[in-house]
Amino acid sequence: MAAIPKEKPSAVDEKRAEFARYKADVKARGKPFYPYAMFHDTIMSLVVVCTIIGLAVIWKWSAWAPGHDPTHPGILGPEIDSPANPGTTSFVPRPDWYFYFLFYLLRVFKWPESVFLGTIGVPTIALVLLLMLPFLDRRQVRRPSARPVAMVAAVLTIVSMGVLTWKGATANEALASEVVQNIPKWIKDEQLPKNAVPGVNLFARAGCTACHTYDGVGGALLGAPDLTQIADRHLGIATQIKHLNNPSSVTPGSPMPSFSSLGQERLRQLAIFLEASKGTH
Amino acid sequence: MATTAYKRKPSKSELRRQTVEELVVYPFDWLEERSGLVGGIKYFLFRKVPADINWMQTLGSAALTAFLVQAITGVILAMYYVPSADIDPHTGQPVAWESIVNITDHLTLGWLVRGMHRWGASIFIILMFLHMGRVFLFGAYKYPRELNWIVGVLILVMGMMEGFTGYLLPWDQTAYWATVVGINLNGTAPFLGPWLAQFLRGGQEISGATLTRFYSLHMLVIPGGIIALITLHLYLVIRLGVTSPPWSEDAAGGEPEEADAERRRSGLTRPVPRPAGAQAMQAEPGGSE
Repeated sequence: MAAIPKEKPSAVDEKRAEFARYKADVKARGKPFYPYAMFHDTIMSLVVVCTIIGLAVIWKWSAWAPGHDPTHPGILGPEIDSPANPGTTSFVPRPDWYFYFLFYLLRVFKWPESVFLGTIGVPTIALVLLLMLPFLDRRQVRRPSARPVAMVAAVLTIVSMGVLTWKGATANEALASEVVQNIPKWIKDEQLPKNAVPGVNLFARAGCTACHTYDGVGGALLGAPDLTQIADRHLGIATQIKHLNNPSSVTPGSPMPSFSSLGQERLRQLAIFLEASKGTH
Repeated sequence: MATTAYKRKPSKSELRRQTVEELVVYPFDWLEERSGLVGGIKYFLFRKVPADINWMQTLGSAALTAFLVQAITGVILAMYYVPSADIDPHTGQPVAWESIVNITDHLTLGWLVRGMHRWGASIFIILMFLHMGRVFLFGAYKYPRELNWIVGVLILVMGMMEGFTGYLLPWDQTAYWATVVGINLNGTAPFLGPWLAQFLRGGQEISGATLTRFYSLHMLVIPGGIIALITLHLYLVIRLGVTSPPWSEDAAGGEPEEADAERRRSGLTRPVPRPAGAQAMQAEPGGSE
């Protein structure tokens, strides 16, 4: 046994030896958790609780008092929005801030074929990489200066998540009141017939431009296609109505919500308008 | 009792004192004898941690505190919140929405409880991310703490699921439409996506059925999972110990082989006999405690 001391110990042996050394070191020279570490933990916890209470107080006192309008926004947003109403589709969806990075990721993948990447693909890959981190980085060295790859990867991740969160927070949403001003231009550009006018009004007010672009106005969320020349696809009024009622019945896996709550008459108006949209002239 | 130099009867005050001490100690001894819990708590409190741990290492317990705030305020909110999308015939408003307005405007300190729950969620998420950043910076996910990193990531994911399900409960426009899109996003996943979307909605459309299942997920299923995972997380932290900051001169378990006389001079790291093979195999990672 003693004859082979020069043999290099395996990586696993070294890891085990280092951990045994750590345990012995802590036992010999460490200090007890109580009161030292617990003191720091307690102070930090008090800071956390005070911050939470502080936010709640600012939220209340800047926004409302009893007998007020509960939707009045203060510094930190309103107490509550108006009640959920499946009938009004003009509302622009907005998640809580910590989902902004995912929300904005959807805009990076604009093309319908790549929507899946933005919604599930990239987040899933990122999550698997995060879970597997200890197995991807198997070296035992812990000093940041000795881990350039890990540090660069971390900085890139933080910067990209920060940028996506910031872009998501400041993204310009197409507000119905602003979109409505484009109606005369749309009618002129597209030479829409008279029977398409109720549909174009509905289109501007129902929140379609939150995801779709029309004649240069609107978003490109969730890979929603540009509808400026949608009539060129010759889908027909019946298919358009079917799609508005239940998008995934026409385009399997479509992330578009159902607009059946508008009522069949209005969906017909929308369909007429879409089938009249033959592009700008 | 060892025989002392002189024998005298203990005074009345000494006897009284002894009785009181026995009364105080008795329940602890009783509990310890039957459960070992007192010893466990003592071990938790007086276990050694490296002498050079720093403030960044309080982020984990700070996240735990934020979670406890969420748990306590959540229990109180659950006493008054009504998860119903039905329309109140008297006011024409959804019952869930009304109960939130009632909590914030009419209940004593209801605004504080709801405000703390609302903002505590953000603080909890921020602290989990910061804590994860600290663990990454310290390389504290490396052997033998790989499993605890995975448990931590799962807690983060479940925390974000809490955020997603809790966002719907006020049943206002923001909540409703964010959830419509959020569920549709899940629906784009291959194979399981449409099934998952259908399951979350409880049907084709978001309705009262969606609200009740989000409520159940938000206050029973996911918190149960988080509590279980936090318990495992803490168990592993106590079993494996806390790492020293990697740049510390005093780092516990530092490299002894390095001909780094400067560092060794401090007498803080001791060489371990090599080859480590046979001996290291016996040193169980669980520690000798």
